[in-house]
Amino acid sequence: MSAIRSKGALIPFQAASGGLMLLIVAAMAFLACFALAGALATTRIASTWTEGLAGAATVRIDANEDDRARRTSLVLDILRDTEGITDARALNERDVADLLTPWFGGIPDLGELPAPGIVAVTLDAENEPDPTVVQARLDGAGAGAIYDDHGRWRGKAAKAARAIGNLSWWALGLTALAIAASVFLVISIAMVAHKGTIEALRLAGAEDRFVANLYQKRFFWVGALGGLIGSGLALAAFVGLDALSSVRAALPMLDAPYYWPFAWLGIILTCALVALLAARLAVLATLRRRG
Amino acid sequence: MIQFENVGFRYKRGPEVLQSVDLEIPAGSFQFITGESGAGKSSLLRLLYLDAMPSSGRISLFGRDVTTLTRDEIAWFRRRIGVVFQDFRLLDHLSAAENVALPLTVAGAREAAYRDNVTEMLQWVGLGDKMEVRPPELSGGEKQRVAIARAVVASPDIILADEPTGSVDPAMAERIMALFVEMNRLGKTVLFASHDLAMIEQYKLPITTLRGGTVASGMGAAA
Repeated sequence: MSAIRSKGALIPFQAASGGLMLLIVAAMAFLACFALAGALATTRIASTWTEGLAGAATVRIDANEDDRARRTSLVLDILRDTEGITDARALNERDVADLLTPWFGGIPDLGELPAPGIVAVTLDAENEPDPTVVQARLDGAGAGAIYDDHGRWRGKAAKAARAIGNLSWWALGLTALAIAASVFLVISIAMVAHKGTIEALRLAGAEDRFVANLYQKRFFWVGALGGLIGSGLALAAFVGLDALSSVRAALPMLDAPYYWPFAWLGIILTCALVALLAARLAVLATLRRRG
Repeated sequence: MIQFENVGFRYKRGPEVLQSVDLEIPAGSFQFITGESGAGKSSLLRLLYLDAMPSSGRISLFGRDVTTLTRDEIAWFRRRIGVVFQDFRLLDHLSAAENVALPLTVAGAREAAYRDNVTEMLQWVGLGDKMEVRPPELSGGEKQRVAIARAVVASPDIILADEPTGSVDPAMAERIMALFVEMNRLGKTVLFASHDLAMIEQYKLPITTLRGGTVASGMGAAA
């Protein structure tokens, strides 16, 4: 006697429904990869911005040319004498011109612009001074200077990046939900076609979980294969984007982060597990509804 | 082992197809259930293989009130009941051998453990040469025999047969009857529903007659 078929063959799955599901999961996995890239990139950008701006402050000295040197010297004395400040350095005309270049283009003679004096301050990252205390000391000495530790910028930048990151995570969650809903729908339709088979299995003593296992096993592999195809295409798209240096400069997440292989595997596994769980829930719900 | 107490049954909101049925079938007995078409034979069997629950009254099976069984318990109870359906209910996408193996497969048995048993069972019903054939290619009588082999392959405690000789010639009917009698000798409880009184009366075994959904004669008949 030849081999009696495995449990998987007990349900006569149609190739068409499997192909349709594969296409849906592959498309969702492709979109999920971009959502994940968005989430990871914004998280990374947020930390880069906050880390970049942390540990540094600037002091702006609004004074005319005659008084600027005296006030700058006064500000430097106060700052160097403040706990939590490790260095303070007055920027020369060239440094200030460089700072303004992105907005005004090359500036041959800064003297023509009413540019303020700038002092770059390096902070002790472990023990940053209270900005209000520093400002009070500058005001008390009559330095006519404004202390800025970039706190407002840091907060806004991080908040914006976090908001975009959260949206990306939501998009990822919705993609998973769409896969689950598609599996649910496909299985509900398939179970109508398989009604006679399921009835025969149940009358032979099959528990609900036995029937659910037949479907979930099949849809786990459909999910995994769909995830592999979709994420593979997304990966190819990323490689293509990476090859474009202009895109690479604009999107720092493309700088070959170590987590891409894990993220890729994560997408495939998530597609497979979401399909498996949705299949199980769909079968159990349908069987209970039928009574 | 099987006890019906004042059992009534109706399909949804329809009229009662079984009314006030009282039955007590001891373990290891052989019982014919007879009656005309529509008398309630198939409905009675349906209640026994737990495909439906009584609308009124109480059915006790293996010492349990069937209405208290959970979904899992119903599945486990069904493994102790082999059923030969009037319409066979074979799976067309599986071979004869795979159909026969179904109760063993769903019970989690491994193929290596039951392969010989399935082969032997199909040889027993005279289909040893049709193990790989699918039901659409089998005759009515052959399908009937595959259904019988499937019903008994897991050695259930109770065997329910709904008109199992309906689609076979007299010689094969006699052979099938002999199979059921043999199963009963092995200690199985057999309930055999048939409207073929002439065939039934040859066997001198207990007969319960249903008429209009009630027990008209035999075990549990109103005095």
